Amino acid sequence: MRVKSVFYAALLMVFASSVAYGAGGPMSGKTIKVGVIADVTGSAGAYGTSQKNAYELAGDDLKAGLIDVGGATLTFDFQDSATDPAQVVNLVQKFTTDGSALMIGPTLSSEAKKADPIAVGKNLTILATSNTAQGITTMGSCVFRDSLSEEQVVPQMLVKMEKAWKVRTAAIIYGDDDQFTKTDFDIFSASLKADNIDVVDIKTFHKGDVDFKAQLTAIGEKKPDLIVIGALIEEAVKIATQAKQLGFKGHLTGGNGLNSPKFIELAGPAGDGVIVGAAYYLGDTRGGNKAFVERYTKKFGKPPDQFAAQAYAAAQVVAAAIRGGATNSGQFCSFFGNMKPLMTVLGPVSFMSSRDVRADSAILEVSKGAFVPFK
Amino acid sequence: MLIQQLANGVFLGAVYALFAIGYTLIFGVLDILNLAHAAIFMLAAFVALSLAGLGVPLVLAFALALVVAGLLGVLLDRVAFAPLRRRNAGTLVPLISSIGAAIIMQGVARGIWGPDERRFPSNALSTAEIHIGSLTVGALDLVILAIALALMGVLSYVLRSTALGRSIRAVAADRVAAALLGVDIERTIALTFFIASALGGAAGILIGLQYNSVSLEMGARIELKGLAIIILGGMGSVTGAVIGAFLLGAVETLSVAYISSSYRDAIAFGVMFLILVLRPTGLFGKRALRAA
Repeated sequence: MRVKSVFYAALLMVFASSVAYGAGGPMSGKTIKVGVIADVTGSAGAYGTSQKNAYELAGDDLKAGLIDVGGATLTFDFQDSATDPAQVVNLVQKFTTDGSALMIGPTLSSEAKKADPIAVGKNLTILATSNTAQGITTMGSCVFRDSLSEEQVVPQMLVKMEKAWKVRTAAIIYGDDDQFTKTDFDIFSASLKADNIDVVDIKTFHKGDVDFKAQLTAIGEKKPDLIVIGALIEEAVKIATQAKQLGFKGHLTGGNGLNSPKFIELAGPAGDGVIVGAAYYLGDTRGGNKAFVERYTKKFGKPPDQFAAQAYAAAQVVAAAIRGGATNSGQFCSFFGNMKPLMTVLGPVSFMSSRDVRADSAILEVSKGAFVPFK
Repeated sequence: MLIQQLANGVFLGAVYALFAIGYTLIFGVLDILNLAHAAIFMLAAFVALSLAGLGVPLVLAFALALVVAGLLGVLLDRVAFAPLRRRNAGTLVPLISSIGAAIIMQGVARGIWGPDERRFPSNALSTAEIHIGSLTVGALDLVILAIALALMGVLSYVLRSTALGRSIRAVAADRVAAALLGVDIERTIALTFFIASALGGAAGILIGLQYNSVSLEMGARIELKGLAIIILGGMGSVTGAVIGAFLLGAVETLSVAYISSSYRDAIAFGVMFLILVLRPTGLFGKRALRAA
């Protein structure tokens, strides 16, 4: 018995020293758990699946040493919230009590508005990667996002379109029962007004609608140069398809909901010519993006979209914070607040005093089944 | 513009009608609200989609899925309604068992096809458009309208001019008297479920094709509208359901076009409420609750 326990003790020591030796680095021995919430299933599943893929790849890259965390052990506790606000709230409550040092997510702005205050109340730092609506980072002094808000992207996009096509009139169709799509509407109507583009018609729809012909027929009658689509991907695809079916000849554009290869895949030819303002361009070569695209494509059989890239960039930002000594919620918060521009797959990323991201935007056009820079 | 909007309303109404006639048929014959009708509507769309995905020609996939939907209806009756009927359980208990059946079917569908919205293979559908003056109509929409009208015509013929139709009407009017006269009640009810569910399934497949979208939620979206339509038309009245459906399609479309898209459903249901205040039996209802 005695011999046995000595043997085990020796074995343990050998094992422990080899781990310490193998890990090395200034943060070795530190364990950091990050809670991630995303909608892998349900109506926002297209976005959450990309996010899930990104953290899976980040997990692989951590193991392979491609993402440096100074020898610490970083794990992403990834949870599916199924596009169900109640589920999001449950998961946030879990992360505030299970020792998570940081929360990433949730996928939709509408979910964040319900759930983030819970994390804020428990002093859990939040890094959002796909909440682009207004009023996200103002919910707490440690709520950050690495997703460019549409307020930052849309004005640049309209200027480019106006230059290219002499856009004078526009109509807006948007979902009036979703935070994300309502924000699209607010931002586009403010930007259109600022650019002196006349808004000739505004129509709404509800989540889950499949028939938009009544709205689009009414809009088509006014012959706007541009239709702005404020919709999530499933509805956006049907709106674009039905607009073409009804013979609309003008241009189509939309918010972040359209910015996914899935939009192109589902809309097919009806997607051609649609302009989207984006936070990410697949062809970017900075911040290890080229290698990221290659590894992601190899692992998942398709290239990453904006949501995957923003999620992966979050992993890069978290790793930088850990290298900078952050292990708990307060340290993550202060590191993010003072972070120098960090090169990520999104290009250089840092946070403004509003905790919104400072990053480049890309204006893209759907052309022959791919996003290309819009000229 | 008005013409185009009316056309939009007709295409919308046609599928509502196909859904509603099956719904109202079961009510007319059995006096029960079959809330699992919407689940069969959804399942049939998924079955057709899966068959099309396997490379089965669309017409054949449509026909096979109709049979599956009809058989599901018969099974539904055997499991959820027949035992209660034998025990004279009244009308509220079958309502609950139909909700249970709907939830089970939803669960099965989620298990088989997953929670995401699905689409028919892109090459399976025609995207051709037909222009008549200022009117633009999809060829697919026209085919769907034609199929819906044809199925409604067949149902109307079966009910009016065949032995089966006479049995169905007899059972609807008075089950005991029909039995005394030698009508096989259980067989008639089974066939009613087959026809009603096949029609509901047809509506599911057609709406899935029309918008190229098949999802678990598609049944829930149409269920309340279908219920409103059959009450508006007069519970149990097939003609009433058809007219109610086209009315709802038109009111929805026109309220979006001319009043407010945000209040579409509120306006549609408001109009139905007004009609029911003026005619509590519905458009074609003979009595407050039941007419064949």
